[in-house]
Amino acid sequence: MKKYIALITLLLVCLAAFAQKGGQITSSGSTTVLPIAQAAAEAFMDKNPGINISVRGGGSGVGIAALQNGTVDIALSSRPMKSKEISACKSKGINPVAYAVANDGIAIVVHKNNPISNLTVNQIRDIYTGKIKNWNQLGGANLPIVIISRDVASGTFEVFNEKALKGAKVDGTAQMLASNNAIVTTVTSTPGAIGYVGLGYVTKEINVIPVENIIPSEATVKAGTYKLSRKLYMYTNGTAKGNSYRFIGFLQGADGQKIVKSQGFISLD
Amino acid sequence: MKPRIILGLLMAVLILLPTLIFAQETKLGGEFWGRFTNETAKYKDANGKYVDKTSKNYFALDRGYLDLRTKFSESTSARFTVDIFSTDATYEYLQYSSTDQAMPIDSLSSSTKKSSVDGAGLKLKYAFVDFANLLPVPDMTLSAGLQKVYFGTIYDWDYTLIGKDPVDEYKLANSADYGLSLNGFLPQGYGEYALGIYNGEGYKKFGSNLKENTEFAYLGNIRFTPIAGVTLGGSYMVNTVEAEKALSGDTINKKYEEQNLMAGVLRLAYGPVDFWAEYLSKDVTFPNESSTSKDYTATGLMLMPIVKLKDYVGYDVQVIGRLDQWDESDNASNKNYLTAITGGLNYNFLHDESFVPKMQLQLNYTTKQYDEKKSAASFADGVKDTSTLMLQLKWRFSSTIK
Repeated sequence: MKKYIALITLLLVCLAAFAQKGGQITSSGSTTVLPIAQAAAEAFMDKNPGINISVRGGGSGVGIAALQNGTVDIALSSRPMKSKEISACKSKGINPVAYAVANDGIAIVVHKNNPISNLTVNQIRDIYTGKIKNWNQLGGANLPIVIISRDVASGTFEVFNEKALKGAKVDGTAQMLASNNAIVTTVTSTPGAIGYVGLGYVTKEINVIPVENIIPSEATVKAGTYKLSRKLYMYTNGTAKGNSYRFIGFLQGADGQKIVKSQGFISLD
Repeated sequence: MKPRIILGLLMAVLILLPTLIFAQETKLGGEFWGRFTNETAKYKDANGKYVDKTSKNYFALDRGYLDLRTKFSESTSARFTVDIFSTDATYEYLQYSSTDQAMPIDSLSSSTKKSSVDGAGLKLKYAFVDFANLLPVPDMTLSAGLQKVYFGTIYDWDYTLIGKDPVDEYKLANSADYGLSLNGFLPQGYGEYALGIYNGEGYKKFGSNLKENTEFAYLGNIRFTPIAGVTLGGSYMVNTVEAEKALSGDTINKKYEEQNLMAGVLRLAYGPVDFWAEYLSKDVTFPNESSTSKDYTATGLMLMPIVKLKDYVGYDVQVIGRLDQWDESDNASNKNYLTAITGGLNYNFLHDESFVPKMQLQLNYTTKQYDEKKSAASFADGVKDTSTLMLQLKWRFSSTIK
């Protein structure tokens, strides 16, 4: 008898009803992609009053984890997903599909009074690993370098680490900040500071330094000649459907790409 | 101050100081399980008749982890975890004795003892370093130290039910052991793999409880996810228990056993339903025995469906069922055939930004029954059957301290 009870229990548990979610789109993740997603969501909701889109930051890793847990429709990410993350998603029945929504260059930024006019990738690595400690070692003023970095959970950090640091360890004196905005604020107020941010966060209060004599621009990022170029992504569970499909399609279309440019990033086309 | 306390403090300082000085990022995390347990089992009454009696009825901190995770660089990280528990449970250990004072090692014998854990205990659970990109294989990591044992479901068992993973429950492998492993992920999220070499004794044994440790355990594990929601996996481990011969004099140890351990895993996940199935096989031989009468093969099967109800009830609630069958009827010294059924309900709350719950309230009811015909006489009339009710509150925290 108890075996039958067990079987019935298992069947009841398995036979729970399936239901579709309502018309809301939820998204979270990269703070770099955040302003694009927010601006696009506002424009999309204006055109489609019946749809509500919520957009939250937290970092690429947070958005991907939320997609993995089935709690957001769209994960915002400033880096491609890792095999470990894809594997974790797929084993839970989540099939992550990437949609590129913008191009970006990671801009190396310094205080606006810093006269440095170029850095090589090797110099950037030497600065961030603590081998170069003063701007005068690079022909600049006699001023200690203050290293400002994103925290290690950031997608921007991971791309920067891969492309500039080549996996080397950031010097222990670096300030690890949680957002692009925090980087900009700190570099703006710190004469010896160096930081890196997505292009959309560059302001007139900071200087963007060319890398290998190439400034991050639409042409250099699209051509890939700027060494710290990357794409920005939205991930969905399976091919985007319904409102998510319409929203991502809107962002990838002409109107959406205008929003990408208006936010300081570089369009896909 | 006692020497052991000084030594403990010294070890903590030696581990923590370099961690904090050289780390790029350090996270301190913890997880604690406060549990109420009420178990009913059969005991003799005044007339010698077996009747149901309350055998356990207590509150305890059954498990607590303190976890330090350190990222030295993008390719090098470490984990240090201690397991804290406070319970009135007993544990078994081997006590060794010798009769020949002149050649003690040649007259060594062991016996199983039981001891009570008075109030609290502390175990080292993990202490390993991960080196990624050491070999030119993408997404491969070399792990060194006291680490996970990548066997069956034991290494990613997240205690959706209060009960242990079947591999742990039926003592095929330990969840952690000292050794080296190469572990990683297949491209495009097609799965994961691990190859490991371990001591084979697990993390719980220490000092005189350890066997004469001359043979390692070897492990291979693969999980393959061909399409999202369908995962197939298999693990194989060879292990030995005790020493084949005494180190001095080559005396043959008849208790020496060879184990061939296998696990097959199936996971199906779709929408709110997550279904796990695991098949286990434990093949034990005693090569130093004159006959094969002690050799045996035990097999087990677990089926565990989990259903998330959040989309239907608005709260993060899970309903879980589990059916275990463990067939050790081939083992002459412990012949038994167990069927265990568990029903569970989880309520997850206080979620973080990735919707991982910081708190989980779990209610489980488990019945264990031994088949009279397939088990030894000592299991007859349900005298070893039990039913257990458990209510548990788990809470977790994680904070970046550097």
